[in-house]
Amino acid sequence: MRRVLAQSKKELTQFGRDRLTVALAFVLPLATLLIFGFAIRLEAQNIPLAIQDFDNSPLSRAYIERIFATNQFQPVDWGTRDPLQQALDPGVAKAAVIIPPNFSRQIKVGIPVEVQVLVDGTDVNNARVIRNSINATTQFFLRESGLQTQPPNIDLQSRIWFNPGRQEALYIVPGTIAVILWIYPSLLAAIAMVREKEQGTIIQIYASNLSAIELLVGKGLAYLLVGLGQAIVIMGISFLLFGLRLAGDPTPLLLGTPLFVVVAVTFGLVVGIRATNQNASVQVVATLGFLTAFLLSGFIYPLSNIPFPLSLISNIVPTRYYIPIIRDAFVRGAGWPGIWFDVVMILLLGLLLFNLAGRSLRRMQLPD
Amino acid sequence: MMLRVPLFSAWVERFLESSLWSLALKEVRQIFRNKQLIFLLIFPPTVQLLIYGFALSPEVHFLKMGVVDYAHSPTSRELVAALTENRIFTAESYFDSEQELGDRVRRGNLTAGLVIPPEFDRHLKRNEPAEVQLFIDGVDANAAGIANGYASQIINQFSRHLTTPPIQALVVPQVIFLYNPGLISSWFFVPGVMGVVLTLTSVLVSATAVIREKDMGTLEQLLMTPAQDWEILAAKIVPLFLLLMADVLLALGMGAFIFRLPFRGNLPMYLLVSGLYICVGVGIGILLATYAKNQQQVVLTAFFINLPLIQTSGSIAPIESMPAFFRFLAWFNPLRHYVAIIRGFLLRGVGVGVLWQHVLVLGIIAVILLGLSIRKFRKQLS
Repeated sequence: MRRVLAQSKKELTQFGRDRLTVALAFVLPLATLLIFGFAIRLEAQNIPLAIQDFDNSPLSRAYIERIFATNQFQPVDWGTRDPLQQALDPGVAKAAVIIPPNFSRQIKVGIPVEVQVLVDGTDVNNARVIRNSINATTQFFLRESGLQTQPPNIDLQSRIWFNPGRQEALYIVPGTIAVILWIYPSLLAAIAMVREKEQGTIIQIYASNLSAIELLVGKGLAYLLVGLGQAIVIMGISFLLFGLRLAGDPTPLLLGTPLFVVVAVTFGLVVGIRATNQNASVQVVATLGFLTAFLLSGFIYPLSNIPFPLSLISNIVPTRYYIPIIRDAFVRGAGWPGIWFDVVMILLLGLLLFNLAGRSLRRMQLPD
Repeated sequence: MMLRVPLFSAWVERFLESSLWSLALKEVRQIFRNKQLIFLLIFPPTVQLLIYGFALSPEVHFLKMGVVDYAHSPTSRELVAALTENRIFTAESYFDSEQELGDRVRRGNLTAGLVIPPEFDRHLKRNEPAEVQLFIDGVDANAAGIANGYASQIINQFSRHLTTPPIQALVVPQVIFLYNPGLISSWFFVPGVMGVVLTLTSVLVSATAVIREKDMGTLEQLLMTPAQDWEILAAKIVPLFLLLMADVLLALGMGAFIFRLPFRGNLPMYLLVSGLYICVGVGIGILLATYAKNQQQVVLTAFFINLPLIQTSGSIAPIESMPAFFRFLAWFNPLRHYVAIIRGFLLRGVGVGVLWQHVLVLGIIAVILLGLSIRKFRKQLS
């Protein structure tokens, strides 16, 4: 035990001395949090919308007013003579509404009138948002203006739970924390391990009576501490900047976070042991670690949308299990009953990785 | 005519004897001997295109819905059928109490819950509005919003068909999706990732090529040769440039054959603009390599320059939805302009005439970056 502690103390001193790695450990996670937290918004606001009103009646103007009242759209100045294609092609407008000349006349005699809506489909997600929004405002317009007097037979009372204002930050920021706590601790651990090999100091370890497991635990412990420091800093900043608050029982988070960081560090150590040089290890952690944590974890879009062969891979991505834990802690607040399985899975993956690390180390001819 | 041929061959001969040519040859040989470089050029772009293209899908479908149906009537069952018909919701399970349903949603086992009250049919018969409750898990704010929109449209339509004769809506929006009528997700993400991949590869490959010379101390040897320093640099850049052009074609080919992306613009023009973008990437790479002390620093800094570059490029999340400050920053992001150009050529079928602003900014950035990096590199040489 004493040897393990000595090993991690040495590791921390070494870590503190290298300015690049300290920056890597604290400045970059922070930068990542700010960029992801502020810049990733899936739903567009202020969507530029062009309108061609061929009717130009009080009724059509009321309809237009209703559309812009949602604050989701921003009017684009576009004449009725210029072809709309010219507004949509360069992206000056993301959508266009064409109101036919007989709009008010037909409504007044009770004949349904078609309004053409052209939506830029390049941004698939927002194309859907725009369509829903136009449909909803149209229904609202008909009801509000008293044109469709018959009351709706079914009154849908829909409520959105846990995040009633649908603030996207509450979705993105916890996921970002998970991605950060995966990439950076693993990157640091990988670099530390490789440095030992590149600088030849690993020979000293071979010569000492430190066992493989002791070396692993010692290094792991040091970077666990660094990782927990990062966790506290970025969660604190998220609390201040993004209004992240604990929603319920914090124990799953308190247990899950150290566990997750341990898994990340172990992953980094495995990569470090196996890699031949620092570049290769950074490359592996960066591409493999980042891509899987970013894309196969349900961070941006639901896990269930990942198609078959890739969905298998996502089952062994630890971030995939930590994201539900952190989202539960900060948004849902259900506690253990909903997420015990995720904690168990992280534990299992951790044991698996630790085993792998131990075996690869032994192959590096360390005494046991 | 006869006179021109010997002139041309003389020119070729002179070129073949020049130090630029022999340096370039040396560079090409080095590249092909360097397995890491070849690996970097082929493997990461392929894997990234595949994963991004297949894994990212914003579609909202198959949301698990739990139902509490107190009414137990044909109409209430029809309502559930209407909601699950277009596969946006799937009726996962039925519960006896609201309490139980709520618990399941709270645990995250279900994404939505529908409660149909006992007096549902009574209200409908009396022509009074019958209240139906729907709650949606809002943890995924984006999906919840879209699901909510779908649900209210479906119920609205269902409601109108309940009366005889069905009430027709007086205003019917006919929505047409341009450029991607089927709203295929990969059509949005793959063009973005094509830009991302080219950035990552060109920065890394060019930085590695320069820093290796520095690492191994062979830069001094190069200086001893009678070659001009611009020749040294040009010999470095030109082969890389050609290899990166091959990457552009690789990405384009994958897009066309694996993801069935359309290509609606002018191909030679597209390659020309891509060449401009490669210059930007190579410029960043060389600049990095001149500042960095060793290869490790290059790889690390490249990774962290690319992160913000990619996030503010609109390749994953749209730029319009970013806060004003980031939208402003995005103007200086070359990747953002390149992604807009790729989407323009592939999906919109427009050309440089429409995209000229993006091309112009890209050109300016390329000139600045290349100029800076060349100056910096020459300073290091002398």
